[in-house]
Amino acid sequence: MSRPRWITPYLSLYRWRMLLSLLLGTLTVFAAAALMFTSGFLISKSSTPIENILMVYVPIVGVRAFGTSRAVLSYVEKLCSHDTVLRILSSMRVRLYRILAPQAMELAARCRTGDLLGLLAEDIEQLQQVFLRVVFPAAAALALYAAVVAGLGRFDAGFALLAGLYLLLLIAVLPLVSLLRTRRAQRQVKERRARLYRSLTDAVLGLDDWMLSGQQARFLGGYEDDERFVAAADGELRQWARRRQLLGQALVGFAVVAVVAWAGGEAGAGRLEPTLIAAFALAAFPLADAWLPLSEAAERIPAYRRSLERLRGLQQAGMNGEDYSVIQNVTEEMREFEIKKENREGDAVKHARELAAAGAVRNGLTGGVSGGAFGLAGGGGWSGTAAAAERGLGSESFQKADASERRRRDRSFRGTADEGSALHLRRPSAVTVELRDAGYRYGGEAACALKHVDLCLPQGAKIAVLGPSGAGKSTLLKLLFGALRPTAGSARIGSRAAADYGERISELVAVLNQDPHLFDDTIAANIRLGRPEATDAEVARAASLARLDAVMESLPLGLATRVEEAGKRFSGGERQRIALARILLQDAPVVLLDEPAAGLDPRTERELLATIFAALEGRTIVWVTHHLAGVERMDEIVFLDRGEITMRGTHAELLAREERYRRLRELDRGDFRREAAIFKRRD
Amino acid sequence: MDRNLLTYKGIRKALGLIGALAVLQTACIALAAAGLAEAVSSLFAGQPAKEQWRPALLFLLAFMGRHGCAALSARIAWRFAETTAAALRRAMLERLLRLGSRAAGDLGVGGWVTLALEGTGKFRAYLELILPRMAGMAATPALLLVCVLALDRLSGLILLVTLPILIVFLILIGMTARGQMDRQLATYRRLAGHFVDSLRGLETLFVLGRSRSHRRSIEDVSERYRAATMKTLRVAFLSSLALDFFTMLSVASVAVSLGVRLVNGQMELVTALTVLILAPEYFLPVRQVGADFHATLDGKEAGEAMRAVIETPVPEARLLGAAAERTEAEGAGAEGGAFPPYRDPFAWGPDSRLRLEGVGVRHGDGPASLESVSLELRAGERVGIVGASGAGKSTLLGVLGGFLAPTEGSAVLGGRRWSGLTADGWRSQISYIPQRPHLFGGTLGDNIRLYQPEATDEETAAAARAAGLGPLLRSLPLGLQEPIGEGGRQLSGGQRQRVALARALLGQRPIVLLDEPTAHLDIETEYELKPSMLPLFEGRLVVLATHRLHWMEQMDRIVVLDGGRIVESGTPEELMALRGAYYDLATAGWEETA
Repeated sequence: MSRPRWITPYLSLYRWRMLLSLLLGTLTVFAAAALMFTSGFLISKSSTPIENILMVYVPIVGVRAFGTSRAVLSYVEKLCSHDTVLRILSSMRVRLYRILAPQAMELAARCRTGDLLGLLAEDIEQLQQVFLRVVFPAAAALALYAAVVAGLGRFDAGFALLAGLYLLLLIAVLPLVSLLRTRRAQRQVKERRARLYRSLTDAVLGLDDWMLSGQQARFLGGYEDDERFVAAADGELRQWARRRQLLGQALVGFAVVAVVAWAGGEAGAGRLEPTLIAAFALAAFPLADAWLPLSEAAERIPAYRRSLERLRGLQQAGMNGEDYSVIQNVTEEMREFEIKKENREGDAVKHARELAAAGAVRNGLTGGVSGGAFGLAGGGGWSGTAAAAERGLGSESFQKADASERRRRDRSFRGTADEGSALHLRRPSAVTVELRDAGYRYGGEAACALKHVDLCLPQGAKIAVLGPSGAGKSTLLKLLFGALRPTAGSARIGSRAAADYGERISELVAVLNQDPHLFDDTIAANIRLGRPEATDAEVARAASLARLDAVMESLPLGLATRVEEAGKRFSGGERQRIALARILLQDAPVVLLDEPAAGLDPRTERELLATIFAALEGRTIVWVTHHLAGVERMDEIVFLDRGEITMRGTHAELLAREERYRRLRELDRGDFRREAAIFKRRD
Repeated sequence: MDRNLLTYKGIRKALGLIGALAVLQTACIALAAAGLAEAVSSLFAGQPAKEQWRPALLFLLAFMGRHGCAALSARIAWRFAETTAAALRRAMLERLLRLGSRAAGDLGVGGWVTLALEGTGKFRAYLELILPRMAGMAATPALLLVCVLALDRLSGLILLVTLPILIVFLILIGMTARGQMDRQLATYRRLAGHFVDSLRGLETLFVLGRSRSHRRSIEDVSERYRAATMKTLRVAFLSSLALDFFTMLSVASVAVSLGVRLVNGQMELVTALTVLILAPEYFLPVRQVGADFHATLDGKEAGEAMRAVIETPVPEARLLGAAAERTEAEGAGAEGGAFPPYRDPFAWGPDSRLRLEGVGVRHGDGPASLESVSLELRAGERVGIVGASGAGKSTLLGVLGGFLAPTEGSAVLGGRRWSGLTADGWRSQISYIPQRPHLFGGTLGDNIRLYQPEATDEETAAAARAAGLGPLLRSLPLGLQEPIGEGGRQLSGGQRQRVALARALLGQRPIVLLDEPTAHLDIETEYELKPSMLPLFEGRLVVLATHRLHWMEQMDRIVVLDGGRIVESGTPEELMALRGAYYDLATAGWEETA
């Protein structure tokens, strides 16, 4: 596989714009040099005995023209190069998005997505700087170099050759030495800075603990030591930069002397107009100004390489489908990035739990309770609907769909709102969700994240899934959503494997998770994401089903309020309601709820869950939850542990049968009179 | 101009040296110009090239001297900037560690780290730039102008007139650009953030089945972003256009006027050349200032932000006077008992009492997060705090923990009346277990030893076992030396709570504050964790804020908060009998609201 390229395709894609930028950049320096050249020529010529001022009219005009054009050219050049770069940025973004979009769920499963993605977005912005700071200046400098050597060649081929070789020192040797010399120190600074970021983030997160411990000085001491180390390495880089500059200027000084000597010699020998001595001498300075920054540009290259490599790695990982190690190796920089962004402590903790969970899954329990026995909901007549759903999925027509089911769902909608603006159901569909002896093992891990899971959910069935972190709950959801294909057994939605639907699975399965992303747009636009063709009335209807009315009325702009502006005002429960309205519009027959009420206080949780279950009546619901509030409304409660089902049944069955369930329930209800028997007070 | 600049230590010396170097540098510039002009004009006059080594050497030496001065002044500026910025950062971190997360304002973790690391960097870059630029602006144009005036009055006048025009244009255009930026800042930010927003929401888009169609929107927005950026840049780049334009125009005018007078024989070539070489140098400092303007602005703002933190007063508890109850005053702390005796006025002994009187906390103009709370706490008592989110539970814990200074009311302790509890002496007696305890990057042992760094491995291991970390400890290859936290082994939510618990057990502090210790744990983990936590409650003052009412059974007293006020308080039985707010919380099954 050839290495994915992130620089060269854009060079050819935008070659005309780039050439224009390059041309303008070269002309800018040329005009500056020409100004000094003609000025030198002008005053030299003027000092020769000439009859009148008209003799120097052309250089006078030249001086003025070059003077003004330099400024204008530079302005146009800047605009042109920035425009080009922004165009490149735009296509790079689309490209990155195309690479990432199909991998969304895998990425979410394997890395701390938000941070990684933010980092990648920053990488691309870094790459645009390559063009502005390295590619364009270097190209212009090279073009000027060629022009100058060629120009000198017209006067004296030997001197042109010498000058060509000498100038190489300035435009090639010095940048190269600079690059090699600073690479190590740059890496050191980078690594140490990552450490500083880490320890400082750590300290700020644990600020209260430091205060209580009274040992602030201990932290500061260690931290300042690290800072001093970075400062020392940084100082080394600075020192080199100063020396490099001095060296570059020395090269320029000698070049000027050499040019003057050469021009003087040539003039003395009568091969050159004496008026050109000053012209050559003065033109050298603006040219040098174009060549000197090359060394600094070269020093930037290592920083860009890192971005480039990460993007390449990402694309290759995507092609291979499996190996995300490349991405995970970037944690150092991710850290740096992530703390630049908002405090995402919550995510980090979640991620930590996930990781710990992955490590904790072991081959412990065997057997497992075989499932599939469904007590409630619907019972017999579902097979027909399931078949109908399967036929209808491709054509979006469900003529044979179960009419009673349609009525039932319509009823449930009318139950909570007026009929006039009833939400139009796109496809009255009914599907059966079925896991048969399903298991999943993540690549490279010995233990199964999930094994021997049997579930059969006819349309409208509702189950709750519980289990400690790492029990396999999220893996279960991913199997159901088709984001993962089971490594053992099968996961089917209707008659097809869940993973076969691809992106179209969203027509059948909707997901409401703990932290749904609200995009920086209006509330209406966020809701409409569920179904872009929805009318305003349908959006408003979905919002009202999600019980957002009161909140919307309190906002002057209502649904047109931007989420970002209102971000502070929206509580966790309200954000969930917006996300709920979104999936109501999406109108899929199966809904996966991934701890949507986690982190809410009991009353808010209760109200949110009530809204969710009322609005989703008739849908098949798989609800992952971390405690027992509301599970009695479910048709079945499933406890997972270490990837296996350890306890399952209806609320009534579990209460009757399982001592453990009874205890958990007592704890959860805070029913301390009964709980007192378990936790004996010790006073 | 930054008025704080002159208050930094060592600024005068640095500025003096850099100023002297700037003068020297200007002299070098003039000498280099003279040398070059001399050499060129002599050659022009037909003298042999070999005889020109003297002016050539002068030029070369002066030229190198000029850049040597620049390097030296950059070095001095860097040294000064480095020490000053480091001192500022250190002072800020020191203050931050004393202010704590709540008193320090809501910059967020990211905000703080960025300010301390990037902010320091920006501030350093600012100092590093501003000193040579200031010196350059002050010395170079004036001195060169004197040179040019001495050589040729007319050229000097041209230069003198152009500079103010140039500066005026620079300011005008700068202001226009800024105005335009400010006007479209909101749109601009939104467009700029759209891509990251999309990537962050990728999973959401994917589950909605929209990830493919969203590509178009990325294209559209990127295009609009480009258009908006270009519109701004067209104005922003005008300032450098004006700089360049007037500089070049001025240099061209000087050149032409010199040419005219040369034709008329009013001037020597060598003089004209010198003036012509000096003319661009005259404008150079101004152009540099223009180019670095934004960098310096950023750094100045970062410096101000850091200074603002340093100037934030640490909310130390103030003594307001003696309190009524002299009976348990003094001596109370000295009785020691289970806990080491403290001489500190905030010492908490087995008979101590703490009384909050009319305590309120209000930030700015917003509603109070705590209002006229009066509460008495006794040593060894267990108090539960319940209430909905936003009822003020965490704020009350903040006040009790000494993290937060009340804006109203007082605390009575040991016979003295205090403005609050924000004192090291008070905090050193508190163990705090939040909803998500922070684990520091380090070993498991060091994390447990946080309050008690001198504890032995045996003591630490015992605390870990008591907190139910025994199985984990056995499973870790390095045991207590196992690295955890960032960059180490990740622990689950339950294990984190157990580490915090072990910390509290080892610390043996007489007061324990808990803020939602099990809210985010799954029910089974919570069930297993609870028995390990109960021993911590023995013989300590426990204040536990939670939504999980099963904890109330272990409490002697419950305080119900609503809207920042205490609405009920009493034993669980009393409150249940009261059939008030607590009863509602305890009995409202979610079925009822469905």
